[in-house]
Amino acid sequence: MIKLILSLSLVLISLDCLAQIDYSKLIIGRNTGTKTLHDGNVTKVFGFTETLNEVTDTPGPTIRVTEGDTVQIDFWNVSQGAPHTIHLHGLDVNQENDGVPHLSFAVNHMDHGYYQFKAPHPGTYIYHCHVVSTIHVQAGMYGVIIVEPSNGSTNTTWVGGETFDRDILLTASEIDTNWHTEAVLDHEHDPANPISVFVPEDYIPQYFLVNGLSETQLADPLNHYTTGANEDIFIRLVNIGYYGVRYVFPVSMNARTILSDGRPLPQDFVNDTIEVLPGERYGTLIQTGTEAFYNVDVEYFNMNTQVVASSQQVTLRTSLASINKLELNLVIYPNPSGNGIFHAVNAFTADYAVYDVDGEMVLKSSEQLIDLSKQKPGMYIIRYQGSAVKLCVQ
Amino acid sequence: MLKSCLAILLFVACSLTHATTIDVRLCIKSGSLTLSGGNSLEVVTYSNTNLFLENSALLVWNLGDVVNLTVVNNDSEEHGFNADGLVSYSTISSGDSSTQTINLSNAGVFRYNDNVNSPFNAYLGLSGIIHVKDPSDLTPYFYWDIREIHSDWNPILTNSGIVNITDYDPDFFTVNGNHNPNINLDTIARVTGNVGVEFKIVLVNNGLSIHSMHFHGYHLFNIDDSRSPAFIGREKDTFPLYPHEHLVLSCTPDKPGEYPVHDHNLVAVTGGQEYATGMFLTLLIAP
Repeated sequence: MIKLILSLSLVLISLDCLAQIDYSKLIIGRNTGTKTLHDGNVTKVFGFTETLNEVTDTPGPTIRVTEGDTVQIDFWNVSQGAPHTIHLHGLDVNQENDGVPHLSFAVNHMDHGYYQFKAPHPGTYIYHCHVVSTIHVQAGMYGVIIVEPSNGSTNTTWVGGETFDRDILLTASEIDTNWHTEAVLDHEHDPANPISVFVPEDYIPQYFLVNGLSETQLADPLNHYTTGANEDIFIRLVNIGYYGVRYVFPVSMNARTILSDGRPLPQDFVNDTIEVLPGERYGTLIQTGTEAFYNVDVEYFNMNTQVVASSQQVTLRTSLASINKLELNLVIYPNPSGNGIFHAVNAFTADYAVYDVDGEMVLKSSEQLIDLSKQKPGMYIIRYQGSAVKLCVQ
Repeated sequence: MLKSCLAILLFVACSLTHATTIDVRLCIKSGSLTLSGGNSLEVVTYSNTNLFLENSALLVWNLGDVVNLTVVNNDSEEHGFNADGLVSYSTISSGDSSTQTINLSNAGVFRYNDNVNSPFNAYLGLSGIIHVKDPSDLTPYFYWDIREIHSDWNPILTNSGIVNITDYDPDFFTVNGNHNPNINLDTIARVTGNVGVEFKIVLVNNGLSIHSMHFHGYHLFNIDDSRSPAFIGREKDTFPLYPHEHLVLSCTPDKPGEYPVHDHNLVAVTGGQEYATGMFLTLLIAP
């Protein structure tokens, strides 16, 4: 009878616990991944997956949760190697859920570990293994957690914050293949001394990654980020590598950084270059226009010498459909124009602006006659209330 | 512990309302710094005792006080002493000394260093922290003198050799001259606090590398930033700390526990290639 009461109590307690969890996610720790790099080389990686069948790659799956939710991560270690953990970087969890093996707990092969937290401020966070973290993070055991505002909005920075049309996550990291050998990755693990492990002598990465890709992989149109014309985009900048990173946006995108480490900045800063050091995250609003492509440069610099070791390029491609849609709203003739005089079918109720190819404004007016007769032959762009059309002066 | 006790020079004014004149003597001495794994390297430091200190002395003075600071050069090379915004000495020859009087009219954190053979003498250990405290500020302070060591460099530099800064590749990473886990025995560095009670941490980067200091468990407020005053007020869990710059961070813990702090350039949590005997320590917060 006592056993029955105890069992019932445990069931009730379990149900009570389950009832309090708003979002649960299974994350599997693997050490059998292989990653194909831009030059065709293949390297061994560790990583996180959502299912047993999927390929282990880096970064791991992005986890999106809602501010205020009680989140449980069911971490299943299927690695046959060292224990692993999940450190919830920046989420300010209590010690038990912090994922540092000697201060909380480690999860051995085929065991489950459960991490719980209440999703705090909206923003961008990281999760990564904290067992011999110097090796396991380099090996690829990292991913991103995004906390969205409590009002359920997926296009607002925070409740009462700024709105955007879409968000794009850019996670920087590096790979030094000398750290991906079996001798390094399959390190000994002494349960009596869980934090003493030797690492390679030097860290000299050969591959500099954005979202796990580099060089020709990033240049592949399949890996471009599609945006709409004249959109506000929220870029989530993350650095989980061991080099410093500078994200450099085109000046025309008006990059304005408003958030860091999951907290609004007391003062926004407007700068096309955003430096993100290891472990930091920034939230930056940018604007697209009607250019077909926007290239974001990502520079990686050595934390000891500050020498730039690599520069990668991420491409944002503006969908043609969105440009065509805007052009329909502005009908201008003749185009091209031999004398630089254009006429708009539309009657303007506010000023339009005309820019040259360098982005310099050459005319601001609300007249239906668009006079570019004093400008040099070439291409110009007229912008009016979210629409834009290319004008050609012959 | 002994290292910490010797390293601190804490002059608390007898009265909060009366300026005090104090005499401070700093001796430049060379000696051996103990590193993780039983390694040791020659360094040169400023000591406020008759003994060699492995890490230059921490100097905490009160706002309004007057300090007669004598710097004695007991090393075989010429050296100097400089603290931007506070005091600067001419070169001091081997065996000589120099005294200046400093009126502490501004509270704040100042990095001091030997400006001879810059930045290498400072790298070798001739650099430290001065904190001019407002006596009415009763917040507990902790001090992290952060530096890294490229072990190939020290034998060269202590023998007047030349190194190329673009070859800098440190292999040991210390806080107050200590490595993990010994850092947690350093009462000056190791934060011990209570839930709901504010503490502040002064971080000075006396090394040559950039560090990205990540805090587990809490976001902290940046309340002083020598490199980027515009960053003051930011609430973050990871703070950039550039060479020769300082930060002052404030935290009021909301939960108990033991939470790590470390450089998130994770190479810097190693020492002599061993994980995790580098720049890694913990905050210990009681209920």
